[in-house]
Amino acid sequence: MGTIKTIVGEHVEWRSQILKLAKADIIKTYSGAALGWSWALVRPVIMISVFWFAFTYGLRGGKPIEGFPFILWMIPGFISWFYMSDMLTQGAGCIRKYKFLVTKMKFPVSTIPTFMSMSKLAIHLVLMCIVVFIFVITGHFPDVYWLQLPFYMLCMIAFFTAWALFASLLAAMSVDFLNLVKSVTQAIFWLSGIMWDINRINSPKIQFIMHFNPVTYVATGYRNCFIYKVWFWEQADRLAIFVIVLIVMIILALWAYKKLIKEIPDVL
Amino acid sequence: MDSNKVVIEFKNVTKRYKLYKNDKQRLFAVFSKRVKYKEKLAVNDVSFQIRQGESVAFLGKNGAGKSTILKMMTEVAFPTSGEIMIDGRVSALLELSSGFDMEMTGRDNIYLKGQLYGLKNSEIAELEDTIVEFAELDEYIDQPVRTYSSGMRARLGFAVSINIRPEILIVDEALSVGDKEFRKKCRQKVNEIIEKNNVTLVFVTHSISMAKEFCKRGIVMKKGKLVYDSDINDAIKFYDPPKTAKK
Repeated sequence: MGTIKTIVGEHVEWRSQILKLAKADIIKTYSGAALGWSWALVRPVIMISVFWFAFTYGLRGGKPIEGFPFILWMIPGFISWFYMSDMLTQGAGCIRKYKFLVTKMKFPVSTIPTFMSMSKLAIHLVLMCIVVFIFVITGHFPDVYWLQLPFYMLCMIAFFTAWALFASLLAAMSVDFLNLVKSVTQAIFWLSGIMWDINRINSPKIQFIMHFNPVTYVATGYRNCFIYKVWFWEQADRLAIFVIVLIVMIILALWAYKKLIKEIPDVL
Repeated sequence: MDSNKVVIEFKNVTKRYKLYKNDKQRLFAVFSKRVKYKEKLAVNDVSFQIRQGESVAFLGKNGAGKSTILKMMTEVAFPTSGEIMIDGRVSALLELSSGFDMEMTGRDNIYLKGQLYGLKNSEIAELEDTIVEFAELDEYIDQPVRTYSSGMRARLGFAVSINIRPEILIVDEALSVGDKEFRKKCRQKVNEIIEKNNVTLVFVTHSISMAKEFCKRGIVMKKGKLVYDSDINDAIKFYDPPKTAKK
């Protein structure tokens, strides 16, 4: 409890600096390059086109799902993956990236994952606007189900910010952990049903296990808004499992924080 | 003005570093208590008080624990046991060439640092020209810090730290930056803010002449222990007996 109080207190006290650091992080990521901001879009566009091509003409499948062409079905889940993959790897590396905040001045370490998350969220929001635009120009107009987008976004932010706190603390202790996360990320991508429809899995057991994966929950959630037209409370069992996983993640993050916060400056 | 207020207080402060064989061992140690490590006692039961407006030099050989003490003063590192009380805005210049975001320009870094020290943008804008001029960076100020030479980084670091109106200034070796002219300017500026603004200065150096110039009090450290604490001239005599003393 004391740890939660410390972390929340630090966020309140340093709120304006957190915002500025988030802003600086976005600017820094893209301003050095000649093409600047367009890089935020180039990567998703290239990846989506390549995967769409591979899945439509190369691998089997790629048939329309729920009456939506495969590429339209793919996009909402894929876009959420960009935020999630960034948070998995860069989130884990954020304390190392902002080493100077830890070792050279007094700064609350717990807020580093937060502003990192905010910076990635800004890019995510821009990409989401483009997704909405794509759906509108292909004749799929907004309906009431779109209203739950912020809900899934919130779930995603909560889980991955907690993850980033946990992982960045461990990664600060040891590069091995960071390397482990980086090598597992690609596996998570293929296991989480970003590229394929998890509803097509026949085995109920495997379906059930899949719901313990927050990446799956978020990607499917985004598709619930755009494709499947399902409310989140209609899948209460999935929500319950996600909440449990989220709570476990938060507890892990708090445990890591409490255990490691005083050692981090000594080892970086 | 109450110039007798205690601004820094260390009470029986001890700092132990845990040394593991490698990174992997350190990661395992997070989960298991059985991983073996060596302990290094960097600071051993140190107590002292520093009052507002004092200028204190920490003298000692490499590994005596001076830098660890400065880090704890900056609240960057935490003591293993003991208490530390700090009262006032601390501006620290630890290790010359770091403390900046390498990808950002010098100017952005000035703003970032200012914001992190809790200044408003309007206040930083007021100080901006002074800092740029002081650091002698001219057009380089709008280049990313990673392109700077170590001297340039140190000058910028010094210019920022000293100009953001600190109440406690902590300096680690940094005054030996740049050429003669710049050093002279630094010295003047440090002396100026000590006298005018009643700033407290804590200074770590190997250079005895520099310690003598800035500080009135000297603390000598040896192997993590505080072995001498008195007037600067006596401290220097204790640390470096006259036979071998420079200057």
